[in-house]
Amino acid sequence: MKQLAEIMKDIAAQSLSRGEVDLVIGWQKGPLWWQSYPAFIEGNEGNGETGSLTWDSFCVPNLSRYLLEELPERKKVALFVKGCDALGFNQILQDKRAEREKVVLYGIPCTGLVDPDKVESAGLGRGLLEVKRDGDELVFVYDSGEQKAQARDFLYDKCLTCRYPNPVVYDQMLGEAAPVQPEERFESVQELEKMDADERFAYWARQFSRCIRCFACRNACPACSCRECIFDIPEPRWLGKANELSETQFYQIIRAYHVAGRCVDCGECTRVCPVNIPLQELNRKFIKDINELYGEYDAGVDPEQEAPLVTYKTDDPAAFTES
Amino acid sequence: MAQNNLLLPQVAVVEEISTETSDIKTFKVASQGGGSPLEFLPGQCAMLSLPPVGEAIFSITSSPTEKDYLEFSIKKTGSVTNFLHEIEEGYQLGVRGPYGNGFPLEMLKGKDLLFIGGGIGLAPLRSLINYCLANRGDYGQVDIVYGARTPDDLVQRAEIFDNWPRASNTNVYLTVDVEWEGWDGHVGFVPQYMEEIGFAPENRIAVTCGPPIMIKFVLEGLERMGFKPEQVITTLELKMKCGVGKCGRCNLGDRYVCKDGPVFTYAELLNLPPEY
Amino acid sequence: MKKIVKDKLPSLWEQLSSQATLFLPVEQDGVVNFAPWEEGDSVNLEALNTVVPPKNVVFPQTETYMRFKVENDKLHIEPFEQNGPYVLFGARPCDVAGITLLDKVFLQEPEDGLYSRRRREGTVISVACNEPDAACFCTSFELEPGMAPGADIMVWDMGDYLLWKAQSEKGEKLTGSVENLLQEAAEEEQKAAMELKERVTAKEAAAAQEMGWDPSGVKETLKDMFDSDIWEQFFRRCLGCGICTYICPTCHCFDIQDYSKDQEGGRFRCWDSCMFADFTLMGSGENPRPTRKERVRQRFMHKLCYYPSNFGLYACVGCGRCVRKCPVNLDIAQVIKEVGGVKSGSE
Ligand code: SF4
Ligand code: SF4
Ligand code: SF4
Ligand code: SF4
Ligand code: FES
Repeated sequence: MKQLAEIMKDIAAQSLSRGEVDLVIGWQKGPLWWQSYPAFIEGNEGNGETGSLTWDSFCVPNLSRYLLEELPERKKVALFVKGCDALGFNQILQDKRAEREKVVLYGIPCTGLVDPDKVESAGLGRGLLEVKRDGDELVFVYDSGEQKAQARDFLYDKCLTCRYPNPVVYDQMLGEAAPVQPEERFESVQELEKMDADERFAYWARQFSRCIRCFACRNACPACSCRECIFDIPEPRWLGKANELSETQFYQIIRAYHVAGRCVDCGECTRVCPVNIPLQELNRKFIKDINELYGEYDAGVDPEQEAPLVTYKTDDPAAFTES
Repeated sequence: MAQNNLLLPQVAVVEEISTETSDIKTFKVASQGGGSPLEFLPGQCAMLSLPPVGEAIFSITSSPTEKDYLEFSIKKTGSVTNFLHEIEEGYQLGVRGPYGNGFPLEMLKGKDLLFIGGGIGLAPLRSLINYCLANRGDYGQVDIVYGARTPDDLVQRAEIFDNWPRASNTNVYLTVDVEWEGWDGHVGFVPQYMEEIGFAPENRIAVTCGPPIMIKFVLEGLERMGFKPEQVITTLELKMKCGVGKCGRCNLGDRYVCKDGPVFTYAELLNLPPEY
Repeated sequence: MKKIVKDKLPSLWEQLSSQATLFLPVEQDGVVNFAPWEEGDSVNLEALNTVVPPKNVVFPQTETYMRFKVENDKLHIEPFEQNGPYVLFGARPCDVAGITLLDKVFLQEPEDGLYSRRRREGTVISVACNEPDAACFCTSFELEPGMAPGADIMVWDMGDYLLWKAQSEKGEKLTGSVENLLQEAAEEEQKAAMELKERVTAKEAAAAQEMGWDPSGVKETLKDMFDSDIWEQFFRRCLGCGICTYICPTCHCFDIQDYSKDQEGGRFRCWDSCMFADFTLMGSGENPRPTRKERVRQRFMHKLCYYPSNFGLYACVGCGRCVRKCPVNLDIAQVIKEVGGVKSGSE
């Protein structure tokens, strides 16, 4: 992966200095082992900052979403996209919130990213200085030495089920295609479907009761791209500000419905949730239902493909109107 | 046991509503048993409650020398103010306050006063003007420059046309932004008019309130006329919720406008972040 | 000093919860938060910091304080308060320090009655930290992982037992009420705890120092940095969510809203966040902090410059919550380091 980081630095420096783009969005390393965060490098030389770009097992934040804020202010923006980020980009494109010609995409074949919570629960977090990826293995670096482990045991759940680790859209691909070996993604949905309505209600009530209403799930989502979110409009205030379960359920149901058919299953909502609400399970239930009702559809794969929920057909199954 | 819950309003009655302009009304508010619900200083504010719509803060436009009621001149801008414009006399609402520092009365004593107001911005100034006129001996000359977009947008007509011009050693200069049928007074923007008239800064304090853009030009004009930032006072409007410096919403740097303001000298504002 | 063997903790929970609402760190679906204890809850005293700090015990996220009814233009208003004594067990020293910082805001004149009543009614029991993690930096604010001066009772986890020390009148009283479960601690046991405390503090201070998380001087440096370019490098990655402020033990901002059915309802206050776009948005549509840049600056300036200028202390206790939970690692430790760097660079 080191190598890829070097390629990223070079390519960013080049496109900035040639004036091809006026902003490069990548990742930078923070002071702690799990911190790799979005970096914004501007100016025609990148102010010498392109050297700070990084690529490691923690470059999880989806950069596509930032186009919503940055693109209107810029001539042209370059960003690095993993498989899931590319899906998000396509969705933003399909929702007409970005212009393809104003964006340069550098594709990153992704072998999965490391979930810091899994490292902590395995008791490996104490004194950890760095985590390096070495093929199928991770190397945990401590003052006292190194320790190796199977990478797959520490990857985000969303990475274990990822079907598009190689970007579906890019201008230039950096590196060899990554292997595609997804686990079944609807397993937890099937578990939920086995519950009866009351159990399911209780399950989600318990999950949502932890919600602190920070709106991080919405703000991180590439499908939540409305210019003004209904939940932000002060008047009329559709969503009460009291942190009551009923209000939270209202919020979460509207959120899930509003991304239904547009959710690219990138898992950002679930990752950013500070109280572990498994939002991806809910989104996937929608995806599964849509697949069953309207035929297989993967949001974000092909922005030209007709999206099932926004396409009118006279023979629409319209199952939700059946009694 | 109800402890000193700062956020709890008292019930008061809207005794009288007068229409000032197409979108401004003045409300007279008294306690249920009669009398002003609060004791206050000119320049202070009060929170008006209209459950279930909510609360909003307004400057008190009546003078503290008026003991029978509080007055608020309110422009329609949001849900609470829209609702207020719908109610009728006799309606009950909640009041809490007073909030803020008010005008620095000590500093104004013995000085000539120049008031510069625009539109609804006359509301806080009016409290001070009437207070000064009621304590006429404590102040020197009083000059009032007031303007609005059209003659129909001028508020407190009885006072600006009759009461104030008749008060001793008091001048009122009115202006409107645009030519208007039936208006033979001055036409032009407030800041320019103020400079046209010309006021010497010696022993004078300028007090201004109005739309942000007007305030900006007034401050520049005053500076040109030789006023020092310490001689210029303005009052700010920010979104507020608690009124007591706790909800954290109305800060300019380390100052809370609800508590340390809304009245600031221009000199003070120059030392605060321009987030207003 | 007293001690309680860990086997007796379930009895302690029962006894405490029979006299007051007992807030404990309870684990649910892998998330540990303070909650009113109920039989069968999985109490987790090992987890370092709860996701949401116990500020929601003294300053609930949503708190109805008034009921109203509008009838033929007549308005009826009644105060509404949920009274009752409570015990907060398991607050970490940084959490307790966070509460004392909230005290400064809410108890200063004019005193906030809702808050002060809650403070009076509660007894706070703090559990010392034996193993701060990489995100902790309380020692940077002259706090000790092993000591919470603001707690009514201080407790140290010594393996099989908890060493127990009452630090206030309230603490003495509560100690008396559970005397049956406590034993006198031996001299050596007390000594062992104090040694542990010193060791942990020294280790933690060294770690924070090594990271460059040293705020001394930052409040002065920031005074001239309102217009600094430094905010440029921070704000772009911010998602504008409310995580960092909601989970911060020192954030005190709130909103006030009404709810109603027909003409009857209540008024509540609820947490709000300067990171939200509508925080300063006025009815007229004007917004003095229109973009994430002004909002990010406000958050850090408030904690590291404005609050200190009003109260003499930083509004950060180094609990590390924003370090752990910000989805894009825009945390206060990095800002402290950067701003501190500006200072030493110009010297
Ligand atoms: S709903 Fe969640 S998984 Fe779906 S696109 Fe949005 S952030 Fe990604
Ligand atoms: S700093 Fe981080 S936690 Fe705070 S609002 Fe921004 S993204 Fe959210
Ligand atoms: S700013 Fe961050 S580290 Fe400091 S007290 Fe708040 S959450 Fe904790
Ligand atoms: S202004 Fe922002 S940082 Fe300060 S207390 Fe309020 S929410 Fe927290
Ligand atoms: S209105 Fe709450 S702090 Fe000013």
